[in-house]
Amino acid sequence: MSSGKRITLQQAAEIIENGSSLTFSGFTIWRRPFALIYELIRQKKKGLHLIEVNGGPQTEFLVGAGCVDIWESCWVGHELYGKYGANVSRKVGTKEILVEDYSHAEMLFRFAAAAAGSPYAVTQTSLGTDIHNPEYDTLGRAGKRDGKRIAKHKYVFTEDPFYGAGSQVLVPAAKVDVAVMCVQQVGEEGTVRVKGQYYSDPEAARAADVTIVIAEEIVPEEYLRRESDLNTITSFEVDHIVECPFGAHPTGMFGRYDVDGAFLKSFYDGTRTQEGFDAFAKEWIYGMDHMSYLEKLGWPRMLNLKANTALNYSTGVKRGA
Amino acid sequence: MTKDYASPEEYGLADLLCCAASREVADHEVVFAGTGLPMVAIMLAQKTHAPNLKLIFEAGTLDGRPPEIPTSVGDARCEMGASRSSGLSDAFCIAQRGLVDLGFLGGAEVDQYGNVNTTCIGDYLNPELRLTGSGGNPDINSFAKRTVFIMVHEKRRFTEKVSYITSPGWRVKKWPGGEVVHRKELYGSAFRGGPCAVISTAGVFRFDEETGRIYLDTCHPGKTPEEIRGLCQFDLDVSRVNGETEPPTREELHLIHNVLDPDQIFIPKVKKA
Repeated sequence: MSSGKRITLQQAAEIIENGSSLTFSGFTIWRRPFALIYELIRQKKKGLHLIEVNGGPQTEFLVGAGCVDIWESCWVGHELYGKYGANVSRKVGTKEILVEDYSHAEMLFRFAAAAAGSPYAVTQTSLGTDIHNPEYDTLGRAGKRDGKRIAKHKYVFTEDPFYGAGSQVLVPAAKVDVAVMCVQQVGEEGTVRVKGQYYSDPEAARAADVTIVIAEEIVPEEYLRRESDLNTITSFEVDHIVECPFGAHPTGMFGRYDVDGAFLKSFYDGTRTQEGFDAFAKEWIYGMDHMSYLEKLGWPRMLNLKANTALNYSTGVKRGA
Repeated sequence: MTKDYASPEEYGLADLLCCAASREVADHEVVFAGTGLPMVAIMLAQKTHAPNLKLIFEAGTLDGRPPEIPTSVGDARCEMGASRSSGLSDAFCIAQRGLVDLGFLGGAEVDQYGNVNTTCIGDYLNPELRLTGSGGNPDINSFAKRTVFIMVHEKRRFTEKVSYITSPGWRVKKWPGGEVVHRKELYGSAFRGGPCAVISTAGVFRFDEETGRIYLDTCHPGKTPEEIRGLCQFDLDVSRVNGETEPPTREELHLIHNVLDPDQIFIPKVKKA
């Protein structure tokens, strides 16, 4: 049965309007929806508000391309392949973007609250740190806290009223317009099966108003329903599906392909400056589509990244010195 | 039984740090691993004195026993051999529930109370340099019973006052006012502990839980307490120095370089002269 959810990458990017708030599947350098990230850059999106449990190369590409006004998260870098987010860092310096810092667990709890339909979550993490410093409420300082999509307060400090467990922090639900997931399999009706660690994907998909799934393959819905206990996201929580093999490259996909560390390292090394970013984007993003991108990467490179089906990762990639 | 220690020309600084970190782990402990050298250290402990330790990767691998060292905690190499592979919700709820004994963390700056910065250098609102941000550093540091920081030792990093408290030490700020209080006072019944050691490229440091102040415990071979004192902006307590940091054994070096990290992803091999 076709559900009419199938769209193209170009259509998926068109759904994300200028000024939207956006989140992604994955974790640092794994399962990021890169094919769509590139398409957003080609469509010259502006004013995006990224709300991420953690950032990564996708943050760096969108920020470098000038698509992002606000980044709310806890971390950005390329793990082993680039020690910090040079584009975020540069644009914080030039005040081209606003950065709102929460801790990693706080971001997770914010998404869990949104996914549960709760206005906030309560936690005891990060007490005593400058993350909670009221002077460092970036969105408040910028007058963005309208109490609609952006919470009235960054934090509320309170005490446990039930068991006397002391200081507590309330963190606002992460309200996002669109979540873009990048996964191994989606059914024709939208059921998602993630293989390997699912990170914060279930919370992200449920928190968003619109969920778009970019999958390595669209499979018969009936196939996924034979063993429904293996599935990760429910059919009706997914609005649109896109079939896009190698859609996470240069990030990795459990069981399918490894992280392209050489690509990430060359991005990190080459994009400390805006000129460097523009040159990189000219070579790898503009004037291309996903197929010509894969063609440029070439078979030898992609086969080297291909995961061993018994191990779920590549035995060919060079990781060390 | 006397240990078969390696001689100084057989190991590098990364080996020494890795073995020192590994010795912080006790058997049967639940240990939270960050990306990098700590993963090698914990897996070294798993293969030596702590075969029953339970390894957690922040991205969602619980009680992991990876046959190959992962490149990062989100890596596809984390899952195989684990009790469960799930997500961040499990990892952080387990931590907030109080089930984590030990976490290994890093930092760009540390002060004498163990407050650590990974967010920015200079004024937060007009930074000289924006760094990665917190990641899970403050979360693990808030929830675990003990945390160990592994850091490069430079005078500018062992600072009187960190640019930004990303991760809470022993004397922290109570918001919204910002008055400095002992960690126990702020965390109340959720208090479980805090930073227990800093392993730097110069020595191993510990904390006095009452005063919250750092002191030098051992000097790495070849370093003197006075030399290390000169590498701190704050007045380092060297009155409790307990000799030299234990060097790696030949068995540990074999495990690091031939079993755990043969590709030198995190720990370089010492070049033979």
